[in-house]
Amino acid sequence: MQIIIDGKKIDAVYGDTILETCRKADIYIPTLCYHEAFGGQGRCRLCMVELEKEGQKKMVAACTYPITEKIEVRTSTPLIKKTRRNIIMLLYKRAPNSLLLQKLFREYECQDNSLKEDPAERCILCNLCVQACQEIGSNAISLIMRGTDKRVASPYDEASEACTGCGACALICPTAAIEMVEEGNKRTIWNKTFELLACERCGKLYTTKEQWEFTAKKNNACASDRQLCESCRKKAVAEKIKAYQAAEH
Amino acid sequence: MKTENHKFRKILVCCGTGCLANGSMDVFQALKENLGPDSGIAVETYVKATGCNGWCEQGPLVKIMPDDITYCHVKASDVKEVIEKTIKNGELIKRLLYRDPQSKKRFKSHHEIDFYKKQHKIALRHIGEIDPASIGDYLSCGGYQALQKAVGMQAAEILTQILNSGLRGRGGAGFSTGLKWQSCARQENSPKYVICNGDEGDPGAFMDRSIMEGDPHTVIEGMIICALAIGAEKGFIYVRDEYALAIQNLKQALADARSFGYLGDDIMGRDFFFDIEIIRGGGAFVCGEETALIASIEGNIGEPRDKYVFPTEKGLWGKPTVINNVETWANIPVIILEGAENFASIGTDHSKGTKVFSLVGKVMNTGLVEVPMGTTLREIIYDIGGGILKGRQFKAVQTGGPSGGCIPAELLDLPVDFESLAAAGSMMGSGGLIVMDDRTCMVEVARYYLNFLAGESCGKCVPCREGIRRMLEILTRICEGQGKEGDLELLEELGETLQIASLCALGKTAPNPVLSTIRYFRDEYLAHIREHRCPAGVCRKLTEFYIDPELCNGCGLCKKNCPVNAISGEKKEPHVISQELCIRCGDCINNCPFLAVKVK
Repeated sequence: MQIIIDGKKIDAVYGDTILETCRKADIYIPTLCYHEAFGGQGRCRLCMVELEKEGQKKMVAACTYPITEKIEVRTSTPLIKKTRRNIIMLLYKRAPNSLLLQKLFREYECQDNSLKEDPAERCILCNLCVQACQEIGSNAISLIMRGTDKRVASPYDEASEACTGCGACALICPTAAIEMVEEGNKRTIWNKTFELLACERCGKLYTTKEQWEFTAKKNNACASDRQLCESCRKKAVAEKIKAYQAAEH
Repeated sequence: MKTENHKFRKILVCCGTGCLANGSMDVFQALKENLGPDSGIAVETYVKATGCNGWCEQGPLVKIMPDDITYCHVKASDVKEVIEKTIKNGELIKRLLYRDPQSKKRFKSHHEIDFYKKQHKIALRHIGEIDPASIGDYLSCGGYQALQKAVGMQAAEILTQILNSGLRGRGGAGFSTGLKWQSCARQENSPKYVICNGDEGDPGAFMDRSIMEGDPHTVIEGMIICALAIGAEKGFIYVRDEYALAIQNLKQALADARSFGYLGDDIMGRDFFFDIEIIRGGGAFVCGEETALIASIEGNIGEPRDKYVFPTEKGLWGKPTVINNVETWANIPVIILEGAENFASIGTDHSKGTKVFSLVGKVMNTGLVEVPMGTTLREIIYDIGGGILKGRQFKAVQTGGPSGGCIPAELLDLPVDFESLAAAGSMMGSGGLIVMDDRTCMVEVARYYLNFLAGESCGKCVPCREGIRRMLEILTRICEGQGKEGDLELLEELGETLQIASLCALGKTAPNPVLSTIRYFRDEYLAHIREHRCPAGVCRKLTEFYIDPELCNGCGLCKKNCPVNAISGEKKEPHVISQELCIRCGDCINNCPFLAVKVK
């Protein structure tokens, strides 16, 4: 089906969100809580766009609005710009030491104001870490509390049995809010300390024992599978292919 | 004074939450004990505990039928006298009758009183008349006859009736109930669900509570009729956990409805199965938002989702779901039984029927009132509510719960309906009406509600979570005398962003208390910011009280009550407040009978 985005006719798949359609068509809409692996959440509201349907205008979140009929979308009106600027300002005031928010604050030409700043906060509650943890299958962290007290935590802020120390949460975090400390062969994250395993080939410390076991179990690995870091695993695979090709010739 | 000598008397003791808190259970027990079969009283009696009569200000209430006597403020110690005089001999006890504060006249029956005369009860029709724990009582006043009628109707006919009645959701949004049901009925996906939203969380609101406590069967009957019309097999009643009596009465009602064949297999001889389960909420205000409520039933975090696809299409567990508020359900049996036209003849062009309000605050008759849509605020506050307490000035009325707006005196003649309230910068909400007098600081009111919402926002979306927090930060500093030039503009700008970008109605409406008070009471904000003065004398850091020597007659009441002995003066001479000692608690100004205490 065809819809109109910023005056241009764009092909859209029935049921796709406005955001997905825009990304395919190379139309930029800013997001903070969206990741293509998980789909739209509607949390950060940075992707608000103006929708016109049967002559009626309204503002919707592009990441959760499914296209099911002929609509006209505008991605950058003065009101949208103002709304985005205010959202960035609010997040900057929450996490002023986040480099990402500092960059966005400048980019969106936000005006500073008299609101207080919290120098210790970095988390913007985009929930991507929780989604990553869920997707991996650990479910070790979650959003807790509500309102202004809402935050991400392991159950009761204690070391969680479910956490394998994989660090996916820290990796996906857009504001570097999740502390993952490595000292010697130890990694500490979410109040839990893990022993790091060395790559059997290059000797680099690359994962935790718990994560290796978790992944091995999930992938039905055999005991003979070697513990290899990401780059050595690629090399090993490449060598296997080469050996196979050589045998064929 | 004496009424006729009756051989049979029915005694109805109000056991709504307000009356219970004032000891009505003791009254009920005392009546039961003293009127048992061995009491030797010639008059046959029947003592009943009923739901909330709405007139909480005068509770505990005891009504005696068929004499139609209403006794107010009844205590267990009054019971002996009530039995001796009224039950045995039909003699009235004057001191227990309601006394109108203006005319000083006493009234025998509540039916003669303005508080009830202007009301029109549909949703509350049985409450106060029946024993909510007895299905027999409900049946004796026409209960389940609407279901009987609906069973003989085509599903489409039921849907048309509800649509034509013009009924709109009583939970706040005011969406057409008929359209909602039709949309769900059209879905081919199954199973379908019916949900009753009883997660009433507004401070000062107890409409839904009273209905669930006082007439649980009407809610159940409404839900069964919906299930019949849309083809649902399972229903849920989501009740906030604090409502213990509502849960108890609903449980009893569900068990009775099952044993009478109104729930379960082959309902009323038709090939139709439906049952209802009670879900107890965890105490989050946001779970009154329908998508958050659905998430909560599913066992997920109570966070709303964008409603670009309605629950009628994808609701509970992704299945078509009709979710309506308690009061909406209570209207359904009446519409089916008496017809859509009858219902649509009440109210205004776009808001049909009646609306229940919990009338609280600085008003004489606090309680629960049900009036036709379109009744003016003045009628509700002055005719039914009896005006402002202690002869003070009306300042504003807050409608629609914590995220409603404050409506000023100039708009007292505003008809109460969905559109008029929205145009005035407020909303119908679920029907809270909080009356405020001239001792109310509108900046502090806005701060109070934002503080409530800051804790009750689910925190999912940025505008609501961060925006409310920042608006609260600004309001707090204004109340503490730290307000800055530009604060009002910043509040307005943030308010607009919340309205536009918030995910659910909680965030979209959260700025209402702020924006409406800025709109109608801008001067009061400016007095705080520019003059460091709270004109209402509420914000302690900005308040100074003094006694007007012209008005003070030296009665000494303020001096006696002052908790810090800051007031001095001889009897019959004007008194003086020491500014050094005064802690600005406001006790003197609130209680001066001559309004001699003033705010600088």
